[in-house]
Amino acid sequence: MKNETPELFKKIFALSVIAVLIVGFFLAFTEMPKGWGVNVNGRVSRLYVLKNVRTATKSLDSGKFFAKGVKPLRTDVAYTPIEFKKTANLEDGAANVVTSIVVDYRGFDTLGEVTVLFLAVSGVMMLLFGKRKKERKKKTEPSLIMYVGTRIAFSVILLFGIYIFVHGHLTPGGGFPGGAVIASGILGLFLGRRGYSPNHMGLKAFESLSGIAFVIIGLIGFFSVHSFLANFLPTGIIGDLYSAGFIALIYIAVGMKVGSELAAVVDTMITDTEEEWS
Amino acid sequence: MQEFLQNWIYLIASVSLIGVGLYIVLTKENIFKIIVGLNIIESGTNLFMVAIGWHPNAVMPIYTATDHLVANGKVIAADPLPQSLVLTAIVIGLGTTALALTIGIKIFEKYGTLDVRKIKEAEE
Repeated sequence: MKNETPELFKKIFALSVIAVLIVGFFLAFTEMPKGWGVNVNGRVSRLYVLKNVRTATKSLDSGKFFAKGVKPLRTDVAYTPIEFKKTANLEDGAANVVTSIVVDYRGFDTLGEVTVLFLAVSGVMMLLFGKRKKERKKKTEPSLIMYVGTRIAFSVILLFGIYIFVHGHLTPGGGFPGGAVIASGILGLFLGRRGYSPNHMGLKAFESLSGIAFVIIGLIGFFSVHSFLANFLPTGIIGDLYSAGFIALIYIAVGMKVGSELAAVVDTMITDTEEEWS
Repeated sequence: MQEFLQNWIYLIASVSLIGVGLYIVLTKENIFKIIVGLNIIESGTNLFMVAIGWHPNAVMPIYTATDHLVANGKVIAADPLPQSLVLTAIVIGLGTTALALTIGIKIFEKYGTLDVRKIKEAEE
């Protein structure tokens, strides 16, 4: 097929389409109804983080936070101020509120996310599967410093990744960043030695067992609290390492799963394979 | 002016990122460049979602020994819900990008080129 349309016309057309989209977006965004004040970012959903029910109700009545007529979610719970390292037995004891949303309140969403990542990795491995080539294209051998240095760095990086996903409910981080850090350490091992290949059976076992562990933790919640992926452990004091119930357990499973999956992706993408099917 | 910048610069930046990515996707012919454009669109979307829940004086939504999320009856933390959604979106974007790059490799092995127009000519 020949291109009759000139190049310049296409670019101008694309630019005009984008301009119409952007202008329409800004018009829609500025015309949206706003509550308190004129600040665009002041109109965020504060129902979740507003744990002070009395103040929330007062603000509701004065129309400060929300428009009048909007009811708060809970008015039956008495207000207790949350203090770090002192308050105990909260509904969800995670100091990191983002983690408590991701793993506890939206745990089913995270299970689906892990499944999507698993499907993507399966697709990558299915498409790039083949017989391993004997010789790699890269001719240069990494030096001894590279070989030793990447191996020393791998232990430190592995420890750091484990730290990130174990402390997911206290500090920024969690299972997904921790798994990515571990996979970057394995990438360093690939760079350090020519022809390096991880233990494939070990990676597969890690991935499968951690995925099964996620579902089993959900099923334990189903049979003990009558809800899938419900928190069945005591939440403890906010800010402690042994707090927030099952969030640390799930993040350990997710971290191991993401780390082994991304390591498998790195392995399949680096290793040269020969075509077995057309 | 400062107020304007504090409130709008992230929104303008995110929409500009989406525009740049859309331009790349619409005009480029190389498949890898199209994937890069999709990634830029994804970054713009993530930045937009985080900027919606952000506040000029907000602290991070994490309970620590020094910061308090509620001060004088007002919530001073950023909204954590968009941040958690963005966390999900980043991971899924990584998976889809890896799959798209793999399909790109397979297309190059079959046709010997990454130009979408040449691929279409080879099909006919």
